[in-house]
Amino acid sequence: MSFETHRRDVLKIGAAAGAFAGLGGWGMAQDGYGRRRGAGRTAAMPAVDPDAEVGVKHVIFIAMAGGVRSRETFGTPDNVPNLQAMADEGVLYPRMRTSNLGHFGATMSIFTGISEARGIRDNARGTDPTMFEYIRKDLGLRQSDVWVTTSGGPQQTNYSYSVHADYGPKYGANTLDGDGIFNREFKELLDAYGRPKAMEEAEKDILDRVRKSIGRASDAAENAAATANAAKVEKYILEELTRGTSSLRGANSGDAKALRVARNLVSLFKPTITGVVLQNADVAHGSFNGYSEVIRRNDEAIGEIWTAVKEDPELAYSTAIFVLPEFGRNKDLNSRRGLDHGDGSDDLRYVSGVAWGPGFAKGRVVKDDVRTIDAMYSACAALGADPSHAKGQKLKRLLA
Amino acid sequence: MRVDVSWGLLWLSVGLVLVGGLGGAAQDGGGGQDGRTVAQPVLALDHHVLRTVCLDLLGRPPLPVEREAWLGRDLREYLVETTGSLEFWEHWLDEQLYFFLLIDNFRPETEGVRSVPQKMVEGRLDPREAVHRVVLSPSFEMRNPGADTFVTVVMEQLAGMRVQKKARELEIGKALYDGRSGVFLKHTGNSQADVVRICVESKEFARVFIEREYGRLVHREGPKKALGSWSMAFYREPGLFGDLVREWFASEAYMARLEEQHPLSNRAFVNALHVDLLGRMPTQAEAEPMREALDGLGDSAPLRSILARLLLDSGRVEIPEKAAIGDQRVWAAALFPRFFGREGSEGEVNAVCGALDEPSCRPATVLYALLSHPEYHRY
Repeated sequence: MSFETHRRDVLKIGAAAGAFAGLGGWGMAQDGYGRRRGAGRTAAMPAVDPDAEVGVKHVIFIAMAGGVRSRETFGTPDNVPNLQAMADEGVLYPRMRTSNLGHFGATMSIFTGISEARGIRDNARGTDPTMFEYIRKDLGLRQSDVWVTTSGGPQQTNYSYSVHADYGPKYGANTLDGDGIFNREFKELLDAYGRPKAMEEAEKDILDRVRKSIGRASDAAENAAATANAAKVEKYILEELTRGTSSLRGANSGDAKALRVARNLVSLFKPTITGVVLQNADVAHGSFNGYSEVIRRNDEAIGEIWTAVKEDPELAYSTAIFVLPEFGRNKDLNSRRGLDHGDGSDDLRYVSGVAWGPGFAKGRVVKDDVRTIDAMYSACAALGADPSHAKGQKLKRLLA
Repeated sequence: MRVDVSWGLLWLSVGLVLVGGLGGAAQDGGGGQDGRTVAQPVLALDHHVLRTVCLDLLGRPPLPVEREAWLGRDLREYLVETTGSLEFWEHWLDEQLYFFLLIDNFRPETEGVRSVPQKMVEGRLDPREAVHRVVLSPSFEMRNPGADTFVTVVMEQLAGMRVQKKARELEIGKALYDGRSGVFLKHTGNSQADVVRICVESKEFARVFIEREYGRLVHREGPKKALGSWSMAFYREPGLFGDLVREWFASEAYMARLEEQHPLSNRAFVNALHVDLLGRMPTQAEAEPMREALDGLGDSAPLRSILARLLLDSGRVEIPEKAAIGDQRVWAAALFPRFFGREGSEGEVNAVCGALDEPSCRPATVLYALLSHPEYHRY
């Protein structure tokens, strides 16, 4: 692999400030991922830990799925001011080639790096490893370091891991469907039941002991590992339920919840990889205006994540963000003044994606054709994982 | 539940004719004149078998009254009674709706779909006609809007096709959807309804449906040759589906399944939690938000744990005070068949009794330990 991700690059605030003032640009970024030295930062950026290692340590990977044409994103910059700003500070790919495999298959392809022919309503794990499995396995990460938030219901939780013999559930991501968990009816039900009684340490010990005494001894280790992760996620869910995510409304409420949960996860847990899968843009089948509104609102929510990253001293210089749709939509409106997806046009087959992060070029527009399945390859490589089964390749001209 | 003698007799005769019999278990009787076993049960229902079969057929564990009524009796008798019940077909319809992802806001509420279970139990509708109704419902159209999505999903889910390999048929299907005439999968049509009819009446539908249902109920791929025979039998007479189900549950394959543990779906977990703690099924208003929330997690164990705790601490579950438990050993031993469908080992019962002896341990603590244990999430 050609990427270097491990070299420590000590950043002194004064030196960085001097460099910023003196060189004033992205041009001072050097080789490989993680070589950016303060360039491109605004004056409002927080102070940085002088001993912090600069490089890609966190990736936020947003599949802006549901079918989104370039015409309504970078073709109408007013719809996506935050993505446009991200592109201005990163790399824009206006010619990302997709395969029309249905939402489920095309989105899975983004995560596996392999074009996956799947039924639109298939509800099963894929056979090829996902980027989450590669990253967890290669970096030896815990499950709590790898998260996916989704918007499209039970189908999308299948993206967390595959059934591949060398990977699979033991390398899976924690997956949360924002609209599923934080549905209003569920919140109301929980409110009606009341909160669980707090458990004292002595009772927790007993609970643990009884649990360990149950079942075959040979299953004990596996059961204990499952219980440990469950306890952490359990705590997070209970806290998230009080943060108002359940009350998000509007045309993009599912997407908004997925993005809100991702933002909170990024701030709280600082996962190594946070995947986000959106879906509400598919309202376009019946309403072009609704679809445009979803794009605008999602751009705003993505902007909030970006701001959260920039305002966090630990994340600001160590986080890369990728945003791309799984495919576009038809060239022409249908009889309902909506947009389907199935005409084989360039509007359907090519989408625009953006990448931003340490060591990435700034303000570059790569007009060459790339593929949506290439993005995961670059994300894995940035973190030092090898997506060995993926069919994609590094995104062209990504690095500064 | 009621005993339907005709189901039992029909099952026996069809089972013998269809695929050369149900194995020894089915051929040596199973229906006396009153449809009940008079000799020693061929496969007696113990806690494990009853819990497993009940979960597989009805998506819930047995109610306390059913445990009392059925333990020790013959599996075949249970199959006849259960597969002839309204609840069996209600659960079957729920599973079909879930397969088509017609859940949450997309759940069909038309009378045509809601009346399916009653008509199924009365023999006025067969599974093929029922699926046809579901796919023609406005909810299916809303779930799969537009020609491309609709025709693709119909071809994939009803006929098991990969549209990427059937691009020409997809285009013809889309033309039919838009009201133009064409020959779609060798049949003429000119409407959206024709796309559905052609797929649902095809042999491919019979094959895909039988494979899917066998996998769902028996938890494994079916033997190729037998699947072919069952599919053809279903294609010719879809009303005999109930007989096939009974045959599958009395087969060697299902006996092997009884030796295994399979994950409890989120739907079944919600039902199990209510049945095991409250002695009743959840209402739809209780079940759906919980199911939706659980489905929102790739690994739902943490939220299952929360739900178990919430229910235990809600004051709705009858949990004895520690002082009111007369014989701790008897109380502890009874928990294992109730929650796990098996007897507890001496070590397990000792551990529970030892915990109860400690001041910080409440009976609810023990129940929570069992309900949040991975074994409760398999069956």
